[in-house]
Amino acid sequence: MPIVISRRELLKLGLGASLTLTTVGVTASLSGCSSAQPSAGFMVLRDSDLGLLAVLLAAVIGPHPALADNESAADATLRQLDRSLAAMSPAIHKDVSELLDLLNLPLTRGPLTGVWGAWENASPGQIDAFLIRWRDSRFDLLRQGYKALNQLLSMAWYALPMAWAETGYPGPPRV
Amino acid sequence: MPVPDPFLQGLARGWRVLNAARLDEGQVFEADVIIVGTGAGGGTSAEILTQAGLSVVLVEEGSLKASSDFENDEAKAYAELYQEGAARMTADGGISILQGRTVGGSTTVNWTSSFRTPTPTLNHWAAVHAVTGLDAESLAPWFAHMEARLGIAPWAVPPNPNNDVLRAGCEALGWHWSAIPRNVRGCWNLGYCGTGCPTNAKQSMLLTTLPAALEAGATLIHGARAERLVIEDERVVGVECRGMNATLSRADGPGLQIRGSHVVLAGGGINTPGLLLRSQAPDPFERLGKRTFLHPVALTVAQFDQRIDGYYGAPQSIHSDHFQWREGVTGPLGFKLEVPPMQPSIMAALFGGHGREGLARMGRLSHSSVAIALMRDGFHPESQGGQVVLRKDGTPVLDYPLNDYLFGGVRRAYLAMGELQFAAGAEAVMPGHSHARLSRDWPDFRAQVERLSYALHDVRLASAHVMGGCALGDDPRHAVVDSRGRHHQLENLSVLDGSLFPTSIGANPQLSIYAIVARLASRLAEEMNSQRHP
Repeated sequence: MPIVISRRELLKLGLGASLTLTTVGVTASLSGCSSAQPSAGFMVLRDSDLGLLAVLLAAVIGPHPALADNESAADATLRQLDRSLAAMSPAIHKDVSELLDLLNLPLTRGPLTGVWGAWENASPGQIDAFLIRWRDSRFDLLRQGYKALNQLLSMAWYALPMAWAETGYPGPPRV
Repeated sequence: MPVPDPFLQGLARGWRVLNAARLDEGQVFEADVIIVGTGAGGGTSAEILTQAGLSVVLVEEGSLKASSDFENDEAKAYAELYQEGAARMTADGGISILQGRTVGGSTTVNWTSSFRTPTPTLNHWAAVHAVTGLDAESLAPWFAHMEARLGIAPWAVPPNPNNDVLRAGCEALGWHWSAIPRNVRGCWNLGYCGTGCPTNAKQSMLLTTLPAALEAGATLIHGARAERLVIEDERVVGVECRGMNATLSRADGPGLQIRGSHVVLAGGGINTPGLLLRSQAPDPFERLGKRTFLHPVALTVAQFDQRIDGYYGAPQSIHSDHFQWREGVTGPLGFKLEVPPMQPSIMAALFGGHGREGLARMGRLSHSSVAIALMRDGFHPESQGGQVVLRKDGTPVLDYPLNDYLFGGVRRAYLAMGELQFAAGAEAVMPGHSHARLSRDWPDFRAQVERLSYALHDVRLASAHVMGGCALGDDPRHAVVDSRGRHHQLENLSVLDGSLFPTSIGANPQLSIYAIVARLASRLAEEMNSQRHP
């Protein structure tokens, strides 16, 4: 899901936001917040992505009993997502990394999401407000970010057999 | 008893099938004809050219997966068998694109719908795009030939409940509907065509033309990206390829050279124009990659009191053309109505919503039915399609801007699909839109559709049909190749795939590719043989 940050779009976001966005790459490399290296045991997702995505997963999927009751469910979903990402193109890897950096770096996270502290400390209400803000934003970039997060996380979760009972899907036939 | 895998049996008999990752750097291959791509166009060409006695090397970017690898597993299939791991999309992210990337191309993963090219489409090509020799009468024997070759016949088994919603709704409203012809033999009616047919019922290229070509001595190199055509003095003398990595995300393996006297491009829409762009092929009138079409698909989701179980059973068996031509060939956007297979991962992407709302929608999956409208782009001045451009790393991406003409089609398609789902007994219907809510009756749904925002990312759009970008036509100012599929500037280069089409088809395109390519490849074989043995 390419996150194309055009110059015009940056200007539309306002000068403050545009300065913030253009400094993401520099900030990330200086602070070491955003390693380019995949996390141990992962092919694409980085350490900084995993905590963020686990928080967002719960908000995107909602109170699904198999996700809420099973401590390993979120880990299994992120591993599934990582396998899917590994088959996607370098262009998509770059877009997804930039989107996750935007959400993770303090300079951009607060102004763009309304979540001013760490994601792990955000309340469910704050995270839901962030999702709705992006879904309904007048900026293409943020609406696309909402769609991308929603699709990546929900496709990965509903690919797992543990997610199916809640949907009434009995599973694939065995041939 | 396990299902036999005819591809594995062929390998055991000694077919020349090579994994590029295991070849030596700099290895050189030679053939009369190099075919880039193994889908509908490449497979059909390979069978015809080998039977004419020509030596053939096929190059495929995807990997070799056959029936014994197909496990009805969505995530595994999307990663292994689809372009960009099923995450291909237009440049602004407005339209998701499902396109095959494996031996057999999209034919390995398509949903088997097999329509002849509509006659109004062929007439439009002749009248507006200077296409000659591809009228309905000339093509009729080629359609008949490929229908017989691939077991194409209207589906005679009762439709699954998801398709039956479409039938019942059209029946109640007096709209056209009919059974879809499918390319299957001995189909088990499982519903997993999109993850690779595990029973070898689908008559894809993987099971038909590619085995025939390999049996006749063709060489297939898979896991190799054709990076560049070698062009010398207005002729293509070879193709430079590079092996793919294990997840098919990068071409960083051994470099290979293939030399041949003729090159057939059959990588499909987006990839074929992409290869020509990378090769800096002559394009004096700047036509290359332009007018790429998608049949953009809008959808509505209906919930029923009874189980639908839309993940089981032949995924597409009923269609309606009620809205396809009624406003004229070149009028407001026409569309074909169909339904998709409804396995949970892909449905989660289409249903939308998050938190409790998204969960409630997925909680009704077994009782839901989805209708899709495939919009016939490319026939109206406001429908110029998209343009294939290259990213910095040389990979192609389709820039397909959304406009009011398209959104007008989406709005009318939402109304048509909602009306038919309520007519079929739906309890609630919602459009595929980021602001959608469930409407409990038709007047409320109609009011919802009129108030929606028709904007990028709000409207959920997808495509499984990439067409055009190397349009055929006899006027080089408007077309990339002539009506024989020969490149206007490079004599020994043919394009034989869906990128030939000067508009979208107005029907699922696989049979259009088979029949038109069979016609053009047969002529190519005759011309090559008459040059060799005058």
